Amino acid sequence: MRANTQGLRWLRATAYNVLAIGLGILAGLLVVVYAGGNLGVALSSLFLSPIELAGGSQQIFVRFVLFYTMGMGVGLALKAGLWNIGAQGQLLIGMVMVFVVYAFLAFLPWPVLYVAMILGAALGGLLWIAVPTILRVKFGANEIVVTILLNVVAINFAFFMLSGPIKSAGTALGFPHSVELPAKFQIPGIVSSVPITYAVPATIAMGIILYLVVERTPFRVKANTVGESHETAKYAGISIPRVMAVTMLTAGALAGLAGATYIMGYRYELDIGSFSTNYGLVAIICALVGRKHMLGIGLASFFFAYMTIGAESMALSANVTTYVVFAMEGIMMFGILLGNYLTERRYAG
Amino acid sequence: MTVALSDVLIGVFSTTLQLSPFYLFAGMGEVVSEQSGVANMGLEGIMLMSLMTTFVVDYMTGNPWVALLAAIGVAGVIGAFFAFTAIRLRVDQIASGLAVYLIGLGLSFVIFNTVYPSGLTPNYIPLPPLITNWNTGPPALGIIFLKQNVMAYVSLVLVVVTAFFLTRTSLGLRVRAVGENPKAADNMGVNVNKVRFLATLFAALTFGVAGFYFAGNFVPGFQTDVIAGRGFIVLAMIYFANWKPYRVLFAALSFNIVYAAQSEFVSLSGFGVASISTLFNMLPYVFLLALIPIFGRKARAPKFLLKPYKKG
Repeated sequence: MRANTQGLRWLRATAYNVLAIGLGILAGLLVVVYAGGNLGVALSSLFLSPIELAGGSQQIFVRFVLFYTMGMGVGLALKAGLWNIGAQGQLLIGMVMVFVVYAFLAFLPWPVLYVAMILGAALGGLLWIAVPTILRVKFGANEIVVTILLNVVAINFAFFMLSGPIKSAGTALGFPHSVELPAKFQIPGIVSSVPITYAVPATIAMGIILYLVVERTPFRVKANTVGESHETAKYAGISIPRVMAVTMLTAGALAGLAGATYIMGYRYELDIGSFSTNYGLVAIICALVGRKHMLGIGLASFFFAYMTIGAESMALSANVTTYVVFAMEGIMMFGILLGNYLTERRYAG
Repeated sequence: MTVALSDVLIGVFSTTLQLSPFYLFAGMGEVVSEQSGVANMGLEGIMLMSLMTTFVVDYMTGNPWVALLAAIGVAGVIGAFFAFTAIRLRVDQIASGLAVYLIGLGLSFVIFNTVYPSGLTPNYIPLPPLITNWNTGPPALGIIFLKQNVMAYVSLVLVVVTAFFLTRTSLGLRVRAVGENPKAADNMGVNVNKVRFLATLFAALTFGVAGFYFAGNFVPGFQTDVIAGRGFIVLAMIYFANWKPYRVLFAALSFNIVYAAQSEFVSLSGFGVASISTLFNMLPYVFLLALIPIFGRKARAPKFLLKPYKKG
């Protein structure tokens, strides 16, 4: 009986999520058709272009890796009741760090430098989130406010680095960009015909490891208790500062790492086009849709990777700005929240 | 090249007075809303929608006052929807705030791009400065204090009114009561969710005014993501201000003095766009961050901030 209720509840929640996502897609379709786009073309770009071997499929996996890596960090911090709104900033610092290590530790032999670039990106994200973490743990400062502030600082800092220390000698005029990483510093594809890099299995493996470490150990209970109530956590003898620090710092390191996979596995160079992508906010949506569960976030990330690529090419098919995708994401997020409300209300008490 | 110090100071102070009202409008609304227990993280999305509305309506009617009304109207509609979900449906305020931000970020540009696909627009008609010809007294005073448009002075009045409202009026006390202890307020016969709804709606209206003000004083025309995080900074200012209106005024003025000083310095030093100047652009934000250990320690949020209330 109990299991049955649980199953029904899950079904209902899923149904609402699907409905919410459908609503967002519908809104996007309306805009595209209003702008004079062909409905058939729009639908086929939305659903089919992401799996076209030539272009979309690579993009899907790039975004899946981004959303999943960052989303796990956001979800982890959320378990402890902490909002990391700053994933975008940490991601950016990670991207910058790849080139900082590449430029300033160039004397290292190839395999060491390769690893150092990846670790440097993670370290950059970790240091960037260390500021809100310390301010939160030591001074009780609100982490939402501080991570938001640091996003703005990160963009300015990245722009400074790009226009000076890591600028390519080739950019005399126009917008500054970094050097392009040579092939041996790129994350290679698994098979040559399908553009999926080793970052994809590595991310999935990391997701499984985090699932085992976070969801299958007492840590889950500890983090959740801190997230639910500090008083209960104190009573249970849980070290609140420690749980906060571990979840926040991991979140920062993961977002920095996402920056490394984005640069080394896809873009190979940094320019201001990568600055205001808002991937950090999509990672928050993925964490919420995945219900803060390390594997659930993976499913949500894959879905949002597919959806955002499809929606972007749908917008382009009718000459509509890709900014419509942000509006669609916002509508989906609202819908999902309302769905949660309806589910909770039905099963409350 | 020698530059008179007095000219630099005049530049810094007049820029400060020109930019601060944007933060003051939004700040006063958000203070009232957060004092009642509801934080609207989507403020920048609402501002983007109002800013877009301001430009479009101003282009079409040539009348900035009509644009102001339209901007407030748009903000009110979005704010009412947010308030309904956050208060009545008890949806997570941070998540729904971010949803509002995303919708505003996307929709504002989609609409603008639909109305002006080529990007070519008529000229924006701003509000006139309060006084155009200042003949008596030292000219510096005129440049600093009187060349702003009337909304700048309205924002200063709003600070005084908000402070008075929150501490001296019975509705203001009810606003604080429902944020501090909704249960007790309810027992005393206060309609908790109604007060919260009014406070949240008021906040949204001030975001509309802030979006309108942004048009005349920050940018010449609408672009994607043009507010660029400045709306979110308001949340930080309120935090440092410990949810007190006069301290928000202090935070906004000092943030903008640092901002104006660094941009004056950068333009005088001739660093050019793409170099050290970006490092200086970080200063105002780093300045706010540095205030945390000093002011953040004593900051105490309204006790039931972010917590929905259910009767019974």
